[in-house]
Amino acid sequence: MADAVSQVGLDGAPGRPPGAAVASEHGTVPDGLSAVQTWEQANVGLDQVLASLPELRRQASGGEAGTRTAVMTLVMVLGAGDDPDEHAASFRSLGGHHPCRMVVLRPDPDSTPAIDATACLWRAQRAGDDDHPVFFEEVHLRVGGQAASHLASIVGPFVLADLPAVMWFPDGVPDPADPLLRLASAVVVDTRSVGPGAADIGHSYRTLLELANHQPVVDLSWLRLQPWRELLAGLFEPEHNREFLPGVRLASVQGKPGPRHMLGGWLMSQLDLRARELVLEDARHVAITIDAQYQGEDGKFQVRRDDGTRAVWAQATLSGGISHRQGLPLPDDSLTSALSTAISNLRADRVWERALAAAAALAS
Amino acid sequence: MTALPANVLAEGLETVRRAPPGVLVVFGASGDLTHRKLLPALEHLSRRRLLPAAFAIIGVARTEMSDAAFRDLMAGADPDAGPGWAEIIKNSAYISGEYSHPDTFTALQGRLKEIDEALGTGANRTYYLATIPEVFAGVAQALGQVGLNRPEPGGSARLVIEKPFGRDRKTAGELDAVLHEVFDEDQIYRIDHYLGKETVQNVLALRFANAIFEPLWSRNYIDHVQVTVAETIGVEKRGDFYESAGALRDIVQNHVLQVLSLTLMEPPGSIDAQGIRDEKVKALRSVVVPKLADVPNVAVRAQYDSGWVEGSAVPGYRQEDGVSPTSQTETYVALKLSVDNWRWAGVPIYIRTGKRLPKRVTEVALQFKAVPHLAFPKQAATGLNPNALVMRIQPDEGVTLRFGAKVPGQAFMVRDVLMDFSYGAAFLEEPSDAYERLLLDAMVGDPTLFIRSDEVDTAWGVVQPLLDAWAGQGAPLSGYASGSWGPRPAETLIERDGRQWRTP
Repeated sequence: MADAVSQVGLDGAPGRPPGAAVASEHGTVPDGLSAVQTWEQANVGLDQVLASLPELRRQASGGEAGTRTAVMTLVMVLGAGDDPDEHAASFRSLGGHHPCRMVVLRPDPDSTPAIDATACLWRAQRAGDDDHPVFFEEVHLRVGGQAASHLASIVGPFVLADLPAVMWFPDGVPDPADPLLRLASAVVVDTRSVGPGAADIGHSYRTLLELANHQPVVDLSWLRLQPWRELLAGLFEPEHNREFLPGVRLASVQGKPGPRHMLGGWLMSQLDLRARELVLEDARHVAITIDAQYQGEDGKFQVRRDDGTRAVWAQATLSGGISHRQGLPLPDDSLTSALSTAISNLRADRVWERALAAAAALAS
Repeated sequence: MTALPANVLAEGLETVRRAPPGVLVVFGASGDLTHRKLLPALEHLSRRRLLPAAFAIIGVARTEMSDAAFRDLMAGADPDAGPGWAEIIKNSAYISGEYSHPDTFTALQGRLKEIDEALGTGANRTYYLATIPEVFAGVAQALGQVGLNRPEPGGSARLVIEKPFGRDRKTAGELDAVLHEVFDEDQIYRIDHYLGKETVQNVLALRFANAIFEPLWSRNYIDHVQVTVAETIGVEKRGDFYESAGALRDIVQNHVLQVLSLTLMEPPGSIDAQGIRDEKVKALRSVVVPKLADVPNVAVRAQYDSGWVEGSAVPGYRQEDGVSPTSQTETYVALKLSVDNWRWAGVPIYIRTGKRLPKRVTEVALQFKAVPHLAFPKQAATGLNPNALVMRIQPDEGVTLRFGAKVPGQAFMVRDVLMDFSYGAAFLEEPSDAYERLLLDAMVGDPTLFIRSDEVDTAWGVVQPLLDAWAGQGAPLSGYASGSWGPRPAETLIERDGRQWRTP
């Protein structure tokens, strides 16, 4: 689909020749998306980039892209060495579900002081529905030189008025003192990307706790773990099962570093467990087991993934006879799905914050 | 007695509504509604993790069927069903028996007890009557005879019934009287699947989540209201049913009056079951019930003839399967209502619904008054009409505002433009199916989107004079060509007020 893109060139800025050293930004194009118009320019002023956006809409064929529907500005902030293509497809897949202005910031402090920009107008369409395409803009800015340390001044003009601005940091945890965060209504991070050492995890979690004191933070890893939490919580919905909650003897969490720490922290904080009542084990897949007692009856509550099937199973087995099992298809753990859930829930999550604090202690 | 511990692991997950542990008992389990709507909706709920682990379905019907055959029927709801559905299927069971025979209900009682003990379903029971309406009362009474109408301690017992709720005001009242002998009103969930549609619920969001519309939402600015429910299909294979129903009973008494009450109601104190339903009933009670003698002046009924719809030749109503060649059943109704309250006095409400119309569309249009003085030369505003706010309920769900704008150029010309909000363009997420939403609401115990007894009674009261006027032989019945927007008398109905039907 990328080869169908029409190029719309605006006047070049002085300095680097137009088009030089700007890689194509349409690495992977998700189904249902097509690039309508693209504009790109090296060594460009922000006013030119901003002017290109209405121009892209104006020049779009048929005039159907004249109206912008947007619910937020979504900014992806890459690290200095990050590959923009790695996350770009997931990022733009969101555009169809949450019409946004998308801005990808690629700071490159060691390169020539210049801003290289690409702006693209995308058309997203639901399968079988020709009548309701969604159009959204995606702007890539590679920021070279000292300006890379002043990203707030660059992003500001692109933030849509009156709508939330969400900053996504795909790799790592932002510095809570970064002025860029003042533009953000909420920050999206992924605690799965921190570590792998326990000390790194502990430090990152504490940084996030500080960040969460100032604004809502949404953790993609936490959202991916939600089906496991829901299934486990669901096992305690029957009233008889709930009686076992105060009688937890041992909780065991298996998984990779990060997810197992977060789930362990969650169980500790919610069930008020002592450290010796919790076991964390390294494993490829997440599994949680809770052993509990109520009036002499033993209960085992387990959520685990089958290796053989792409399903997650929750099972409660009580020595008194009741047993039930619930299975679910392995939830979609794609980045797009997690991001989509994240930007639908841009609010502080006190349960996550308590789990994070306990997990930071577990990792230390 | 010590208090039950809170489910602390569910903290923070409350934003997702899930059914509590329980059993759904479907009467009419071998029927079309169960197969076509209920089982697929339940499978979707299971796939979306909205059903609990402790959950089972018991099917009840006259048809002889084993548990295994019923489980096969459930498995057929979706060939790609997830593992959660397989687990529910394993828990589920079937009882074949007559609805009038006590043994059927004794067997049901036994099965429910077994499932409660095996799964811990906590005696939460939802009885869904997907049967013909004639057995509603009998099933409710039989449930009462074995005590299944009364919730056990810590449990619940709810009865879900589908429209039609009676054939007229009298029979609806009789049905209610029987149901109320056995179940309390707060145990009864009357489904009108229209209320489960996202866009119907959005009427509430549009009106009460936005400050800019409500001040205009009255006789001060609105000239009239038009409600259109148009179908392109005929009676399909429902000729037998439709012959005894007609458009007035099938569409106007329920779907149209429900949507209308949401449009006319006052802002509720809170968006909950009592707040919304109280205001809906108040709005319906304000609708002036036509006098029998006035029916010919305010209502038109008609029946479709053969014609062309969407490029295909289609037969007339009387040529359809299951329809009498001399049928007097209406497939089209046009109606003018008025409302006696502070907000709507003097604002006529025009309603039309019909089968075999040119386009499938359901919408509510608020037609605003014209500007008091047009400052432009008349020829500059020939393309200008009064403003209109249209809530499109299906199929192109959204909201359109019509207003005037200057035509680009040297001359000062003004013409209509549309500011169009389309759900499909703003949210590509698939909305929930109406049955999914309503089944979940019933199991959760949220009656907001279900119809209360007094709503049913009031709605029948509005249409009863029309039913009476049209009951006798010789009542006027017009014809209209399939593929047209209805009969000439329907146009006259609105044109004599100096207005016109919209072309949706």
